[in-house]
Amino acid sequence: MEILYLLLPLSLFVVALIGGVLWWAVFSGQYDDPDAASLSILRDNDSTSTQTSHLSS
Amino acid sequence: MPTSIFSINRPLTANELTGRRRDLVRLGLAWLAMMQVMMFALPGYLRIDAGPNDSIEVLDWAILLMNWASLTLSIPVVLYSAWPIWGGLRRALKHRRVTMDVPVSISIVAAFIPSAIATVRGEGEVYFDSVTMFVAFLLTARYFEQRARQSLQIGVVGRALRALSEPLRTESDRVATVFVLTQMGFAFVIAALWWLTKPEYALDVLVALLVMSCPCALSLAIPTSLAATHVSLAAYPDMSKVERTQLFTRTRTVARQNLYGSLGWHILTMPLAAVGLVTPWLAALLMFVSSMAVIFNAWRLYRLPERMAKAPRRVFGSPRATA
Repeated sequence: MEILYLLLPLSLFVVALIGGVLWWAVFSGQYDDPDAASLSILRDNDSTSTQTSHLSS
Repeated sequence: MPTSIFSINRPLTANELTGRRRDLVRLGLAWLAMMQVMMFALPGYLRIDAGPNDSIEVLDWAILLMNWASLTLSIPVVLYSAWPIWGGLRRALKHRRVTMDVPVSISIVAAFIPSAIATVRGEGEVYFDSVTMFVAFLLTARYFEQRARQSLQIGVVGRALRALSEPLRTESDRVATVFVLTQMGFAFVIAALWWLTKPEYALDVLVALLVMSCPCALSLAIPTSLAATHVSLAAYPDMSKVERTQLFTRTRTVARQNLYGSLGWHILTMPLAAVGLVTPWLAALLMFVSSMAVIFNAWRLYRLPERMAKAPRRVFGSPRATA
């Protein structure tokens, strides 16, 4: 059972890691607008006259 | 086309955007910690005094380690995820106004502090699973409500909804405060009685009663109902005025059902805790069942416009509404 001394801190470390990744993912704006990804192709600037076409949201 | 309440339909200010992100992280961390703490709490749920002495010793040692792990995970939940609740408490104290955040924070403290002390002392029951579950459920209900409110344009509907929600909120705040204060008074009286007869159980019973005084389902009653109504409004923007009035009437009914139903449930479970029968697993289970009942009842509101569109007569019983 001494293995718990290793396993419990390890599980806490994994939880902290997941929490950190969640933090990063949310604050990088990935969950701001769940519709944005599916609509971005429709909102894309298709006009050929402008030099730079970019995604607009 | 039904729209999602999570999509952004207008430009948000930087503050609103940061608020959204923070709420989501708080919510996500609370759920993550809740599930881990539940897992760590399982050996404690399964512990029975029967069995060979040495295996009980090993189990108790493992439970103690698990409690430390639960404590580690509960601290960020209480300090970071529950931050909006502490903010609400501070505002309530400043304006000397009782809001739902007051009984909620009393219960979090009443469950968390004795559990932390029990962990450090290495004996006694811990209720970290109840604390984290409570925070996670409450944040979820509020998150849905806030997102739905943000997705609704401010206008006639928004104003009507606010007129609907304010009295309900005041009512639930009052009910919850009276309930929590009564429950706490009751807890101390019962604990004193136990102290006179069997002092070794007094502290356990006191903590169990304080945990049971947690207004979990009560605090979910109004936000879940309002969130469901918000979502219905956002999903069916072309609802007629009559239908909207019907939805609002129904919202009021469901919110009251939730409020007084969960109050009744809390009162029913009080005798269990008073005689010392509420173990941590039972407390968590009772909290879960009552919260789910409230959420399900509110979810019926969300289904209402759909049913209204399909069979208006059956839902509202008025023969004119078949058009």
